[in-house]
Amino acid sequence: MGASSGDPQAGGDARDRAIAALAAIAIGIQILEAAIPSPVPGIKPGLANIVTLITLLVLGWRAAVAVTLIRVVGSSLLLGTLLSPAFWLSLAGAVASLVLLAALRPFAPRHVGPVGLAIAAAMAHITGQFLLAWAIIIPHPNLPLVLPPLLLAALITGSLTGILTAQVLADPRIQRHVRKPASSP
Amino acid sequence: MSVGLLRWGDALIGVLAAGIVATAFALAYTPAGEARVLVISQAGAAPQHEPLDRARVLEVAGPAGITRIEIEPGRARCADSPGRQNICEASGWLQAHGEVAVSLPNRLTLQVRGPEPGFDSMHY
Amino acid sequence: MRSVMTRALALLLATVLLAACGRDEPDTEQLGFYAFGTLVDLSLYPAGQYDVEAIGTAVQEELEILHRSWHAWEPGSLGRTNELLALQGEFSAPPSVLPLIERGREMEALSDGLFNPALGKLVAAWGFHQDEPDGPPPDAATLAELLDDPPGMQDIERNGVRLRGTHPDLQLDFGGLAKGLAVERVLELLAEHGVEAAIFNAGGDLMTLGRPEGRPWRVGIRHPHGGVLGSIELEGGEALFTSGDYERGYDWDDTRIHHVIDPRTGRPSRGIDSATVLHRDPALADAAATTLMIAGPDAWPEYARKMGIEHALVVLEDRIEATPALAERVQPGRDQEPFVVRELP
Repeated sequence: MGASSGDPQAGGDARDRAIAALAAIAIGIQILEAAIPSPVPGIKPGLANIVTLITLLVLGWRAAVAVTLIRVVGSSLLLGTLLSPAFWLSLAGAVASLVLLAALRPFAPRHVGPVGLAIAAAMAHITGQFLLAWAIIIPHPNLPLVLPPLLLAALITGSLTGILTAQVLADPRIQRHVRKPASSP
Repeated sequence: MSVGLLRWGDALIGVLAAGIVATAFALAYTPAGEARVLVISQAGAAPQHEPLDRARVLEVAGPAGITRIEIEPGRARCADSPGRQNICEASGWLQAHGEVAVSLPNRLTLQVRGPEPGFDSMHY
Repeated sequence: MRSVMTRALALLLATVLLAACGRDEPDTEQLGFYAFGTLVDLSLYPAGQYDVEAIGTAVQEELEILHRSWHAWEPGSLGRTNELLALQGEFSAPPSVLPLIERGREMEALSDGLFNPALGKLVAAWGFHQDEPDGPPPDAATLAELLDDPPGMQDIERNGVRLRGTHPDLQLDFGGLAKGLAVERVLELLAEHGVEAAIFNAGGDLMTLGRPEGRPWRVGIRHPHGGVLGSIELEGGEALFTSGDYERGYDWDDTRIHHVIDPRTGRPSRGIDSATVLHRDPALADAAATTLMIAGPDAWPEYARKMGIEHALVVLEDRIEATPALAERVQPGRDQEPFVVRELP
């Protein structure tokens, strides 16, 4: 039995601890990423999404929502950007990708793997961010012009995070952790 | 959990995403698009590029006097120019790629261009 | 397993990069300056291959010479020729004027007299022999006198380089022809300078030399009332000329007086706002554009046929008419209604 479609109710406490741990890892990655300057301002690889995807595939969608939201708020608190435009943009992107992941979830892992999910999540993320930015922050008629390069970047970073996610999930050490909740009483 | 192979769903998503990206580029850069920049060419000077972003007024001096140019988001016009025939003003608002207004007394052409050059030359 | 993913990823990235390839940088170099009484634009292909300044200077110098020689009212070769023609004695013509005269003769014959460069006096009477045209327009008596026994190109006798005028009112004004000839000269000059492909645009009238590798020239056509009338793809050696009522003129008593005078009425032509002609011979295109404007909304296809023009378009007050050949080649602009096709008789 694959742990990827494990029963969400299984292992209550262990599950909450797993979510907390994963959220912590995600926050850590997010902050590290914020510290590294990106070659193009505003475009980040979104490596913290790897955690979201792993959570989705191992613990389910609701767990992924929890991990992601905790990550957005938590890293925002630590970076001092809570309730700033950057926070709302981050939240918009996260919500958009979570919604799309919910739609795609039934197809994983049989028809869609981490790469597909990651690409879809990244595209949704950037679109959600863009829509918020365009609607409220910079309603400039020319803003849509920046969208194509952003979408392209999302496609590339999504592919990369998807591959990394797949690599992480294939690692035997992770596999061991993953199998545990299903086999524990 | 098998993660080595790409599933057909991955390929489908990948192709769709690539398609979306391509379409986005195509839509953003269609040749007959709206105007984005005003190119002011004055004989003897290097062409001046003014983005058509926020409303403002420019004044360009020439041999015959001052040509006043009004810029609004996405369009520009020759508001006032020396010359009794008002040929420059008659061009009205320039808002489609390639549209031109000319002030012969001031040796000046105003042309609006879209996101990328579509025309090699403008006939009028 | 890993290699499959790596290959798939490579394929994905390749597709993405190909799909995302934007259009290339502009491959032409533009040069603009004031010459021949108008704004001149030179588009040279390919970019970066020529000494653009040297070419620009050469073209500008040539145009200066032609402008002075062919000037209808300022002193120059044509001015001197006009003086000597009026004396009705035999003289040696300045060489630069001879091609104008010969082609002028040709155009007058082709247009059944609608295009008549010998009517300089009539044009001057309407106030067009000055930099800023102005009235007052000629009164009825003056007009009647000018129209009574008007001069034509047949009133010039030629024997080699010797000319003799045989009409006291003969005055040459090559307004609707000089630019066509100038364009031809400039293209020859560009070819001499080794230019592979270029568009020479003098005040909106243009001609192509060669064509870029792998694509035709893309030329936009401005609507006289504003906006873009349409666009056309041109090959090498094609000239596009337009004559319009908005080019030179003035207002008098709430009437618009423009510079294209109808020799039959002695007054500015009516009915057509502008006429556009596409042809490989720029002088013919220039003269034909003027002729079609004079011919008017009903008869213009007939005169197009007379002059051997197949590609023509006229802008009327409420619509645009075009020959089938040109209607096929011009892509109407956005918001532009389709052209009304008029067959040639």
